[in-house]
Amino acid sequence: MNGIVARLLAVFVYVAILAVLPSTAAAQPKEVVIGVLYPMSGPTAQPGIDNKPVVEIGADIANGAVDLPFPFYQKLKGMPGLKGAKIRLVFVDHQGKPELGQAEAERLITQEKVQALFGCWNSGVTATASQVAERYGIPFVNAESSSPGLTRRGLKWFFRTSPHDEHFTQGMFEFFRDFEKKKGVKIKTVGLTYDNSLFGADSGKVMKEIAKKHGVEVVLDLQYKERSTSLSSEVQRLKAANPDVWMPTSYQTDAILFVRTQKDLDYNPKMIMAQDSGHISPDFVQAVGKDAEGTMSRAPFNTDLIAKRPVATALNALYVKRHGKELYDFPARSFTGFMTLLDAINRAGSTDPEAIRKALVATNIPGDQLIMTWEGIKFDETGQNTLVKAIMIQLQGGKFYTVWPWDSATKDVLYPIPAWKDRK
Amino acid sequence: MAPAGTVRPVLIRAVLGALLLGALAFPAVFTLPFPRHIMIMIFLYGTLATAWNIIAGYCGQISLGQAVFFGVGAYTSSLLFKETGLTPWAGMIVGVILAVIVSQIVGYPVFRLRGHYFAIATIAVGEIVQSLIVNWDAIGGARGVFVPIKRPDSFVNFQFHQSKAFYYYIALALLLLALAVTRLIERSRRGYFFRAIREDQDAAAALGVNVAREKLRALAISAALTAMGGTFYAQYLLFIDPESVFPLSLSILICLVAVLGGVGTLWGPVLGAVVLVPLQEGTRVMLGGTGKALDLLVYGALIVGISVFQPGGLMALFARSRTAGSAR
Amino acid sequence: MGFVYALIAAGLSLIFGLMEIVNFAHGEFLMVAMYVTFFAWTLAKLDPLVSLPLVALALGGLGWAVYHGIIRWVLDGPMLAQIFATFGLAVLLRSAAQFLFGIDFHTVNEPLLSGRLALGPVFIGVPQLAASVTALGAFVGLHLFLSRSETGVALQATAQDRQAASLMGIDTERMFALGWAIGSACVGVAGGLLAMFFYIFPDVGGSFALLAYVTVALGGFGNVPATLLAGVLVGLVEAFGGLVLTPALKYSAVFALYLGVVLWRPQGLFGRF
Repeated sequence: MNGIVARLLAVFVYVAILAVLPSTAAAQPKEVVIGVLYPMSGPTAQPGIDNKPVVEIGADIANGAVDLPFPFYQKLKGMPGLKGAKIRLVFVDHQGKPELGQAEAERLITQEKVQALFGCWNSGVTATASQVAERYGIPFVNAESSSPGLTRRGLKWFFRTSPHDEHFTQGMFEFFRDFEKKKGVKIKTVGLTYDNSLFGADSGKVMKEIAKKHGVEVVLDLQYKERSTSLSSEVQRLKAANPDVWMPTSYQTDAILFVRTQKDLDYNPKMIMAQDSGHISPDFVQAVGKDAEGTMSRAPFNTDLIAKRPVATALNALYVKRHGKELYDFPARSFTGFMTLLDAINRAGSTDPEAIRKALVATNIPGDQLIMTWEGIKFDETGQNTLVKAIMIQLQGGKFYTVWPWDSATKDVLYPIPAWKDRK
Repeated sequence: MAPAGTVRPVLIRAVLGALLLGALAFPAVFTLPFPRHIMIMIFLYGTLATAWNIIAGYCGQISLGQAVFFGVGAYTSSLLFKETGLTPWAGMIVGVILAVIVSQIVGYPVFRLRGHYFAIATIAVGEIVQSLIVNWDAIGGARGVFVPIKRPDSFVNFQFHQSKAFYYYIALALLLLALAVTRLIERSRRGYFFRAIREDQDAAAALGVNVAREKLRALAISAALTAMGGTFYAQYLLFIDPESVFPLSLSILICLVAVLGGVGTLWGPVLGAVVLVPLQEGTRVMLGGTGKALDLLVYGALIVGISVFQPGGLMALFARSRTAGSAR
Repeated sequence: MGFVYALIAAGLSLIFGLMEIVNFAHGEFLMVAMYVTFFAWTLAKLDPLVSLPLVALALGGLGWAVYHGIIRWVLDGPMLAQIFATFGLAVLLRSAAQFLFGIDFHTVNEPLLSGRLALGPVFIGVPQLAASVTALGAFVGLHLFLSRSETGVALQATAQDRQAASLMGIDTERMFALGWAIGSACVGVAGGLLAMFFYIFPDVGGSFALLAYVTVALGGFGNVPATLLAGVLVGLVEAFGGLVLTPALKYSAVFALYLGVVLWRPQGLFGRF
């Protein structure tokens, strides 16, 4: 009998210990605690893992451990607004699951006593986690989720520095116009493929709307299952429809498989315009870079801009040293969003959430201080950064180059993409 | 498993009573949301596993498609609330009715199958339903449904932003309901029918049990309880998408919780939830965030360990200590 | 793809027929096989085709070890405990892969075989074709082994009646271990073949495993040759479902096929049980 009681007790003690443990790390004075939510395991773990070091660099800059010699970052050194308070980061893994995002956001706010939240990459997780922040009145800065609906929920505490799918897609069609003018090529039809994730469905919807607005005909509208074991029928349908531009939206897994299948089935689109994500990830480039020659994508940032922008060059050196990889889109966006948050906290001069929120609302960072090619950072009443600018990049010789807008371009657009039979 | 009263019924009742009191008082002691959240998850998974236990544990039909009923419950109440403003409580009842209808439509043909064929057929149904929902644009498709946030908190709207205590007690009530239903079945004639089907369905049929009808009833009860859990989940999270309420992994997790505790016993699924949920949350809180999947590594190793050393579920441990106790 | 599905499913079918255990970690075995192939290629410059026997051997070893380390202990437990154990193993292997190799995606670039063949309007990738042929070969080999060799017959006898077999002097314990080794080796071959044209990362197994379960059940549990037919069928339905229906529903078509078949024949196409 005692056995049962003892065991039940043990279970309860276990739960109790669990409940108490994290709260021992209560906030000390002169410390700013920021909760960072990223996927660090599961199918979308990579962005989380690549973004973690860049966020750490951001914190180190504020803590004076790392130096980025440009005025905007110098201003943040040692957080003068808070008289040298230290930034402490708490990372959590939400595995890409909305319910974990919610639970972790709540735990961070109530137990780790974070003063601000940052994350979550996956749009679905950002949706639930930001609702928690709203409920508790804690500022939430998002640097990369691209679902347009996120800033249309009327949230007061939610801020997004990155462009969303509509900005991006708008950019693509503007590029088509410019390109038509410059090269005398007509782009009349597009073929869309997108997966059945939140990201895919959003992107598909926006592309259809904007294509219609620009009078471009959608000749193929194909939704497929995320992480398919085979994509041959999808590629065969693309081949049959033969649009002027193929516009895919996929995560790495499917992006890689698409290129391999495309090669196997001898599908030769003249232009590929991808919705970022899988088609520009370093894994994609490393895995099928040669075969994906000519793939274009929208992006907020590209590695070749590093050399053009001194701030980015300096940051890239730090990032390579810490993570052994070059800076690319995801960490670049993450860094920009995170520094925006630090800047607001510094200007708020306090860790009071309301003060931080007010400072975020008043954010106005000039474009030349950013690693991005944006015109700056300034939020509208929905919390969306209005000064974003999309760029178009293209994979040439195993590397992505900026090809549009023409004035930032480092290479000319490769068009049409050579057919498989004409390649070495 | 012998009913929980053979040794010292008074003492066991006292322990259960104390546990219930403890559960009732828990929110008063732990005011932080995270411990409450863990308890809510324990109750929710306890409810789902108890519901699964009715069809799988007592009736012996291993369903790996429980997520279908969960999702139906979640979607029905959320969509009704969003589109017509109908209170989620009424939506919950509609969801239950729909889930029961779905369970009968699916169950009627699928129950002809046995063993693994049945289990895999339920997986197939689950996958098909998930694909259909994902591609059904009118209800949000892959983009899911944002449940409209209504302030201030109200019981009618089933939303409590100020405190988790309400969610806590609703979840606890759900669990108690599921347990009460199980208890009723266990003691009724129907319970004997179910167990007879589990042991040998041909023999049960020979004895005059209407096997097909009883199986459908078991599934209906299970589906109804699962759908209620779905509504609760939707109102708790206020955001649902097919990926989070219809996945196969949810169906499997429900099954794991029950198996860990011990199938075919009243308390097994609850015990499973009490152990597994904190284990999962705990390993993640302490070891997650490293980007090395250490938490899942530990979690997986523990599951393997438990199944190797305690294949009958944790309830077997109690049964053993009880026999040891009575021998003394 | 059908042949590869069939080969993945064959291993599962063999193990199931032998001791009625569904291995939920099957997809993770596949993932391990793909990693082994990948490392053989990066570290030792072995083409997937060359390293195939090596991979099969490695996976056979893994299967053997898993049997002795885990399965043997839950063999007499309830069926659900077995599900539980193999599921735990799946989580364990997947997270171990992330722990050891990270979450980066890998592919084997420029394998020996690449390019494509044109058969009228239809193109078939050479790696896929080679994979199909090799898978078919492995399948025939497996079938011959099971039906002709003494050990194979002993395996089948054990599958049919454990007690009778042990009375006949067959070491059932050894047979079980062997069954796991061979079953896993099949996945090993499938993984090696798949690595030629598929990406590799810790979560790769999931989608394949699900199809493998359906394939096995479609053919009928315990009937290895029937698995081949079922595998081909699944591959065809997947391909045509994607062409005729919307691709988003092509797996639904596969699952619907399964439901249709088992409702018509509750023991699968050629099942014994």
